[in-house]
Amino acid sequence: MNILYATLGLIALYLYVSFASLLWEGLDRKLVARMQRRVGPPLLQPFYDFLKLMSKESIIPKHANKFYELAPVLALAVSIALLAYTPMGFAPLFATKGDVIVFIYLLTLIGFIRVLGAISSGSPYAQIGAQREMIILVSREIPMMLGLFTILWRLSHLGVEKPFSLATFYQRNIWELGTPLAFIGTFILLFVFLAWLASEIEVGFFDIPEAETEVAEGPMAEYSGRHLALFELSNALKMFVSASLVVAIFFPWGISAYVGLSGTPALIVDVLFHTLKVFIVLFISMSIFRAITGRLRITQAVQIFWLRLLPAAIIGSLILAIDLLGVIV
Amino acid sequence: MNERIEYWVKIPIGPIHPALEEPEKFIITLDGERIINVDVKLGYNLRGLEWIAMRRNWIQVLYLAERICGICSFSHNHTYARAVEEMAGIEVPERAEYIRVIVGELERIHSHLLNLGVVAHSIGYDTVLHLSWLAREKVMDILEDIGGNRVNYAGNMIGGVRRDITEKHKRAILDMIYYYRQEIMPKIEEIFLYDPTVEARLRDSGVIPKRIAIEYSAQGPTARGSGIKKDVRYNEKLGVYPDLGVKPVTPKEFTGVIKGDVFDRMVVRVGELWQSMEIIERALDQMPEGKIKAFPKDNMILFKLKKAEGEGIGRYEAPRGETIHYVRAEPGRDGPAKWKMREPTFPNLFAVARALVGEQLADVPVAIASIDPCLSCTDRVAVIDAETGRKRILTEVDLLKESIKKTKEINPNIKAKPEKIGIGRCIL
Repeated sequence: MNILYATLGLIALYLYVSFASLLWEGLDRKLVARMQRRVGPPLLQPFYDFLKLMSKESIIPKHANKFYELAPVLALAVSIALLAYTPMGFAPLFATKGDVIVFIYLLTLIGFIRVLGAISSGSPYAQIGAQREMIILVSREIPMMLGLFTILWRLSHLGVEKPFSLATFYQRNIWELGTPLAFIGTFILLFVFLAWLASEIEVGFFDIPEAETEVAEGPMAEYSGRHLALFELSNALKMFVSASLVVAIFFPWGISAYVGLSGTPALIVDVLFHTLKVFIVLFISMSIFRAITGRLRITQAVQIFWLRLLPAAIIGSLILAIDLLGVIV
Repeated sequence: MNERIEYWVKIPIGPIHPALEEPEKFIITLDGERIINVDVKLGYNLRGLEWIAMRRNWIQVLYLAERICGICSFSHNHTYARAVEEMAGIEVPERAEYIRVIVGELERIHSHLLNLGVVAHSIGYDTVLHLSWLAREKVMDILEDIGGNRVNYAGNMIGGVRRDITEKHKRAILDMIYYYRQEIMPKIEEIFLYDPTVEARLRDSGVIPKRIAIEYSAQGPTARGSGIKKDVRYNEKLGVYPDLGVKPVTPKEFTGVIKGDVFDRMVVRVGELWQSMEIIERALDQMPEGKIKAFPKDNMILFKLKKAEGEGIGRYEAPRGETIHYVRAEPGRDGPAKWKMREPTFPNLFAVARALVGEQLADVPVAIASIDPCLSCTDRVAVIDAETGRKRILTEVDLLKESIKKTKEINPNIKAKPEKIGIGRCIL
């Protein structure tokens, strides 16, 4: 692979996704405000917030260790690295065999770095928030991974170039299996993934680690100024990337082939169409979810993951497996 | 290796915290997410109202009483007026009593809607907050129509009320009740009685059993949520309330069970919204014609009260619970020789702190919000060095010295000599 192409592509993606994800945050705040009969902030409020935070003084607690300052930078770096593995309307930039594993690890790493940064700040609120983040992290990964690997395994049986890579989703489509059983299984997994997405971006039921009225923004309690701005940006990127995964699995259709484009224009049209799909997924999983639910207790959230979503993921996977074996037609 | 390692974290909720509207402090000792101890610290809100009251005359204290709390501003001066009336033996005209009932119940509607929103916000359910606070605007408009202000509507006078309820107001109130019955109450009932999120979060959190509620003398919706039939309007046969058929609302009438948790307190509030509307309708129906003040001019009250001697106690069921005001008069004094009030928050706060032990951290904001805390207490400023933990109490003189030092720093040319205000001087 051409190193220049990869570097330039990554920078372009970073700039585009930062813009798109911050724009979505503004849209989300406006949409939720309208659902709650409010006017809401201006559309560009997240940009203003980001710029304002960048220009503000960053206060570092007396007992914080060095990792406190390092964590936001690392989180942003990991988010940018993640962009190279994210499918965005075309196969990922660094598509290799088995890049799904890297993708999941990097996604988890952002949460892990947040936890480390919170613990190094020495604030009791951040400590509680970090505990909650860890608990919810280990609960939410398992149903998601089960669903993701089942779908990849099922697609690999259709004959793809690189099984267990994110590029698979652009060669084959889970809906093209076509049998009724496959439809049911995929719908169950879609539900699991939407719930996972809501917990990954911490909205509605799963706004537990950052619960504003309980632990005062939890892991972010002590962060301010530039450091907070970097964390906000990396969270926005993470939100876009997680939604991109759902879009790539369940709604991978491109638009360029229908309009008859090729080359760079096709790429641009595909990215824009992908962004639109991401916005729609986020609208369902973030805005509506945020408007119609409150926050759960941590025990209840863990129960939802282990007693509702994990069985759902298992059932969905089993249905897909039964479909492949052809026991019931 | 049978030594158990305990990992305790002390979390301060307050004095300034996103979950609290007013300065109060809960030091919560946590074992993981479970609360093992709650320590309540009060007194961040020094105002010295009782001291100020002793330097004012009887009528001026009415306005001071109103400013104890913005949400139950009618309740406090109503209670104070009742105390003074009892002390001096002043007869209140019947129409005035009806107007007091109507404004008091309107205030109850606005206070309960506010609290339903606050509880919803503390579980992160902001849509309900915006719904109920939007609904609250309507009753605030009516209160503005009647009293002239959205908050602190200065309606009471010793021996009656200051403003009449005219036909125009009556129509507006009936319109408002129609709007609430049709538009708001079905939504509020659906959310607070049947919504799964609300039920998951509010059920079995902050449980105050009946025995504890009696022991800690819980008041208002907190007591009624635990199943105690306690309502001053009903028990004391207050004013014209017995004619209006007021009864203590318990959650049993709505859900069939009494658990004493946050859910039950909210159910009581929803029930009281219905009840308040009924009371207002009946009061508007039965309201007789006549005068609204016992004395046509205010200086006549002052003249009568200057000669009065004795003590009086006023009781009233504010939206949050029972308020008690005590006044003592000495002949020849313009104002009260002693004025003392008791707020419902004080006993409720300790009952809820006791109830929180053994629950989860997530229940703290919602349980505290469910008693609708409202603080009016006194304290001194204490400066604590974070490094050494040394405590130093600053008196007024120290604060004044600091203030002079700071002013001199900012503007060295200042010539005026600041004088000590406070003890021994009137600041009227």
